[in-house]
Amino acid sequence: MTEKKRIDLFEHELVPEHILLSKEEVEAVLEKYRIKPHQLPFIKASDPGSKAIKAQPGDVLKIVRKSKTAGEAIAYRYVIEG
Amino acid sequence: MTLVEEELYKIIDGIKFGIFSPNDIRKMSVAEVQMADTYDEDGIPITSGLMDGRFGTLEPRQRCKTCGNTAARCPGHFGHIELAEPVIHTGFSKLIHRLLKVTCRNCGRVLLTPVDIEEYKKKITVEREILGTPSDEHFKDIEKRTKKYAICPHCGTRQLSVSFSKPTTFQEELEEGGTNRLTPNMIRERLERISDDDLRVLGLDPEVARPEWTILQVLPVPPVYVRPSITLESGIRSEDDLTHKLVDIIRINQRLKENKEAGAPTLIIQDLSELLQYHITTYFDNEASGIPPARHRSGRALKTLTQRLKGKEGRFRSNLSGKRVDFSARTVISPDTNLDLNEVGVPLDVAKRLTVPEKVTQWNIEEMKKLVINGPPNYPGALYVVRPDDKRIRLEFVTERDKIAEALQPGFIIERHLKDGDTVIFNRQPSLHRMSIMAHVVKVLPYKTFRLHLCVCPPYNADFDGDEMNLHVPQSEESQTEARLLMKVQDQILSPRYGGPIIGALRDFISAAYILTNKSTKLTKQDVSRLLAAASYEGPIPAPVVEKPEPLWSGKQIFSLFIPKGFNYVLKSSVCQQCPQCDYENCKYDAYVVVKDGILERGVIDKNSIGAEKSESLYHRIVKDYGTEAGRKFLNATSRLENEFITMKGFTYSLDELDLPNKVRNKIDTIIDEADQNVHKLIDDYQKEILQRLPGQTPEESLEIYIMNELSKARDEAGNIADDSFGMENHGIIMTRTGARGSNLNIGQMTACLGQQSVRGRRITRGYKDRTLSHFKPKDLSREARGFVDSCYRDGLDPIEFFFHATGGREGLVDTAVRTQQSGYMQRRLINALEYLRVEHDETVRDSRGDIVEFRYGEDGIDPAKSDHGKAVNIRRLIERIKIVAAGGRSTSKDYIEDRLKEVEKELTPSLISDLRSQSAEAKLSRDAFDKLIPMVIENYKAALVEPREAVGVIAAQSIGEPGTQMTLRTFHYAGVKEMNVTLGLPRLIEIVDARRKPSTPIMKVYLDEEHRVGKEKATEVAREIVFTKVEDVASIYIDPLKTAIVVQIDEAMFGSQGVTQDELKTAMSFPNCKVNFEDNTVIVTPKESSDLKKLLEKVSSAPIKGVPGIRKVQVSLEDGEWLINTDGSNLSKVLKIPGIDPNRITTNDVHEIAETLGIEAARNSLIKEAMGVLEEQGLDVDVRHVMLVADIMTLTGEIFQVGRHGVSGKKASVLARAAFEITIPTLVDAAAKGTVDIFKGATESVIVGQNIPVGTGLIEIFMGHGSKTEEESKEINSNK
Repeated sequence: MTEKKRIDLFEHELVPEHILLSKEEVEAVLEKYRIKPHQLPFIKASDPGSKAIKAQPGDVLKIVRKSKTAGEAIAYRYVIEG
Repeated sequence: MTLVEEELYKIIDGIKFGIFSPNDIRKMSVAEVQMADTYDEDGIPITSGLMDGRFGTLEPRQRCKTCGNTAARCPGHFGHIELAEPVIHTGFSKLIHRLLKVTCRNCGRVLLTPVDIEEYKKKITVEREILGTPSDEHFKDIEKRTKKYAICPHCGTRQLSVSFSKPTTFQEELEEGGTNRLTPNMIRERLERISDDDLRVLGLDPEVARPEWTILQVLPVPPVYVRPSITLESGIRSEDDLTHKLVDIIRINQRLKENKEAGAPTLIIQDLSELLQYHITTYFDNEASGIPPARHRSGRALKTLTQRLKGKEGRFRSNLSGKRVDFSARTVISPDTNLDLNEVGVPLDVAKRLTVPEKVTQWNIEEMKKLVINGPPNYPGALYVVRPDDKRIRLEFVTERDKIAEALQPGFIIERHLKDGDTVIFNRQPSLHRMSIMAHVVKVLPYKTFRLHLCVCPPYNADFDGDEMNLHVPQSEESQTEARLLMKVQDQILSPRYGGPIIGALRDFISAAYILTNKSTKLTKQDVSRLLAAASYEGPIPAPVVEKPEPLWSGKQIFSLFIPKGFNYVLKSSVCQQCPQCDYENCKYDAYVVVKDGILERGVIDKNSIGAEKSESLYHRIVKDYGTEAGRKFLNATSRLENEFITMKGFTYSLDELDLPNKVRNKIDTIIDEADQNVHKLIDDYQKEILQRLPGQTPEESLEIYIMNELSKARDEAGNIADDSFGMENHGIIMTRTGARGSNLNIGQMTACLGQQSVRGRRITRGYKDRTLSHFKPKDLSREARGFVDSCYRDGLDPIEFFFHATGGREGLVDTAVRTQQSGYMQRRLINALEYLRVEHDETVRDSRGDIVEFRYGEDGIDPAKSDHGKAVNIRRLIERIKIVAAGGRSTSKDYIEDRLKEVEKELTPSLISDLRSQSAEAKLSRDAFDKLIPMVIENYKAALVEPREAVGVIAAQSIGEPGTQMTLRTFHYAGVKEMNVTLGLPRLIEIVDARRKPSTPIMKVYLDEEHRVGKEKATEVAREIVFTKVEDVASIYIDPLKTAIVVQIDEAMFGSQGVTQDELKTAMSFPNCKVNFEDNTVIVTPKESSDLKKLLEKVSSAPIKGVPGIRKVQVSLEDGEWLINTDGSNLSKVLKIPGIDPNRITTNDVHEIAETLGIEAARNSLIKEAMGVLEEQGLDVDVRHVMLVADIMTLTGEIFQVGRHGVSGKKASVLARAAFEITIPTLVDAAAKGTVDIFKGATESVIVGQNIPVGTGLIEIFMGHGSKTEEESKEINSNK
């Protein structure tokens, strides 16, 4: 059921792909922008997007957006409780 | 003189808010006020009175008794009043109530177990570390949890609930019933018992805000400068409202003290202390709910402390966020075609009042001496001389100016008159976007008005019907330079809103350009000379097109002289009729514009080529490709050329040009007659009840819709016929077709028929009972009785028509007034929510805390103002240019292109790469050309990147807010089908940024899967599953009093149309405690026990049969070759579960629903889509990047935040910024209790404390030296340091 839902959600036109980052990748992102995780935009753990990839509070998600201006754009969100 | 003059100025690091303790107040006080009087008979302040000289002095030459300074330099000193009884501070009463509720009434501990307290402590420290301040939710959480403890977990005391009634009364509810009033004294004792540690858990900072300090024992008396008394002309002294209030307080306090000392009965004491409480409450806030406001003798409510701070006229918004300035002027504006685009004509009288400080150097000393000798009255002169020791000499009062001129030396500063070439800042309110404030070059002119170039009217939104504008003179060289380099008009030609020119030709310039470049225009040598002289053209005259009998030049030739050499461009002009078959070069309207190598070969020039607010025009290309300087020169030259030409030629729209030939007139009359007949037929059908009902509409509504369609069709036809009867030689037609002014509609209304007048989008129906005017029969639905105007403006309106026209006109006026208010407030909120956002050096957009809002501005890092109508690089243009240089050659292989693209992939955006790929293949570029193209694209891309520190937030807010004013207020758009209305325009935009819980018109667009999208029947099947059907929708229901039952009479027809089956109805019809009997077409519901039948009736009628709750109506329609369902009402999560829909494309306009079911990222996309949709529908060009930024900040926290006080603005880091925005007093009070520190990282708070704002040039410091120094001198300076 969860597997099915996962596919459904990210196939929707409005929903960009969410990718769970590994520890190393998170480090790299934080290093790149010289920030602490809470300085990233947030996403709730209860958000359908983070639930679909089973993200836990404290994780960082990479979001690959389809962009009107750039074609493709990368954003990150920090998973928070709630 | 030092090489680098470092000005001594202090920077405030931060402000910490707190509460004064009684001791602080006493310490700070210079005197206790004991007397309720101000001055004695001689007007001398009474010692120990409210105007005591120790608080400061108001008299100009008197010295302060405390600090010895005169009024100008004395900061003022506080006094105090010792209160006989403690009094509650109104602002803190909510806090006091909270503290009383969560702490024990006996031991003062928080009503939580020690373990819980520790846990919260930890959570708070963690949050403080991460977020700076702990979130409010914790404290709410604590409050909730303490409610559970009826007995204190620490000392075991039974707790009583405390009730609070505004503004300052607290009561304890006793167990045995009844209440016990808590006196301020009792409250203070309780608050004192709360330990510092516990206070920290509750979010208070005990260092600066012990809760007992919220109970006043000593009242500070502000210095006299806060409450100056004014002397009226009659010599009567009038005291400030605050002084009045303080007098009241002291009087009551005195009486209370005396009574207490005399041992008066407690009842009297209590009454008096309540009176004291009232006075002190109103002293702080005279609009507190629950008490009558204190009034002046005249009956006017007093303006006390809260009223002074709050609102638009309050201290924050009126005096701290915006200040009055010197060196400014204001007068009426008027046009001047001979000015340069950059110039502003300044009246001589103004130039003689405004000054610019200029340093005297060895090079300009002679000139400066002359200025000083001329002095204030003679232009050019000077008003002041400032000596190096900072002494100012006011030349107005000097008799021998030549002596002062003689004494002039390098290093002096002369404040001289404004002169030609100075840079000034020019502004017209409302300043909706940055182009409302631009730098101009001064041109001193006679007469009394500011003069400006006509082409700068659009950015200022100015006209000359009496508009006034403001002018400011920057005083420092730093600010002058900044204005000159960044704010000049020519640098603002391209608007950041859409990346196109906002400045360009307009009105008659366009008409003139059209006539000039028209094929038939031939000019004699004299004409040509005159035109070129007007445009200050220098250079050869081209060869004439006609040699004999006399040489003649074409207008195109003349116009071409001002187009840069080597410029190529092709476009369709505004006069293009959009023929189905385009003839391109051979267009019969000459609408196909071809410019080759700077020569206008074909086509007429009109709005599409040189117009203001037209993107991708000829003018836009010139500005982009040749720079703003070329753009300015082009506009200067052409506008003077056009001006001269139209003056020569003459241009007027005369009355006989509005005449229609009789044939046309008759045709129009027939059309209206026909429409009238059709309307009557519709009315007939309606009365006979054979009118076909539109789905979801009552017969009356259907009739209205039919009639309105019929009439608007007639009007359009009439208008078109009239329009077609005029040729291009008609001046009105020239204006409308070229885009100079007016529209088809205007011409139609003037010549053919005015059409339907409407109020609220409907025909006019109100007035008398069942009719609009007494001239008509009741219930007359015909066109003339409902506000259709047959006449045109030329013929004039009859009285009845005139009345209807006025009715519709009134609505227009009201609409404009409402709209400006609404859009103004929206813009204020947008600006407030986004003001602190800036681009950092790593391309991210961050807020004042340094948190990331966008990882790359606009996802591609491009500045819309530097973009090409939103695009980063105009590859097509580059290819065209390259092809000229590197023409021919075999086209490159695909592989080569791919390889090269791979190399530069990192430097460009994915969309640019793919554009490059497709367009270079399409253009069949040679390898050579392709190799040239790539670096050019990269170069162009880099040039278009945003500058770090750019205040992108403000630009985004302006770009969305400014067009708000142009939006229509009440627009309903028919989504797909005519019957479904959707809110659009400004109200919808406001709804989006408000993040309103439910849109006013929720709708969904349900796409269907492959099986169901092909046919109407299949789609309808799905639609039936979606639409919410209740029992009452398929049956008539009534109460049968005999059987004491509810009878449901099934309507077969409805049954079929709604697609409801018997089984479905059966399952729906089950009610607890009821017997349900089915008899073929009736269902009888009998309650088992006698109960309220009316209630049951309601229950039965609203029993759901099938469908999705919330979906009121559905409409199956064909769009882009597939069938889909538009719904009225929205319920995304439920509709997603309906089989037959396409779950990947279904959308709703309810952003919150999207956030819940598809996630925050989808909500972000939806916000962008919705907002862009509204703007586009209104024909407003706004770059997506601005909308994206708003969407990003709204979704920053993982949930949708409103742009406003409950969302983005309410979460700002700065107390001052929040206080300046909306909820002033509670914000300040809250900050005081929490001991919040404001460190001025945002814009508003920096403005309030008078520091540079941390965006744009506010972050840049310039070190600048004056004059040259020999090496020894510089050494000397260094050694001095």
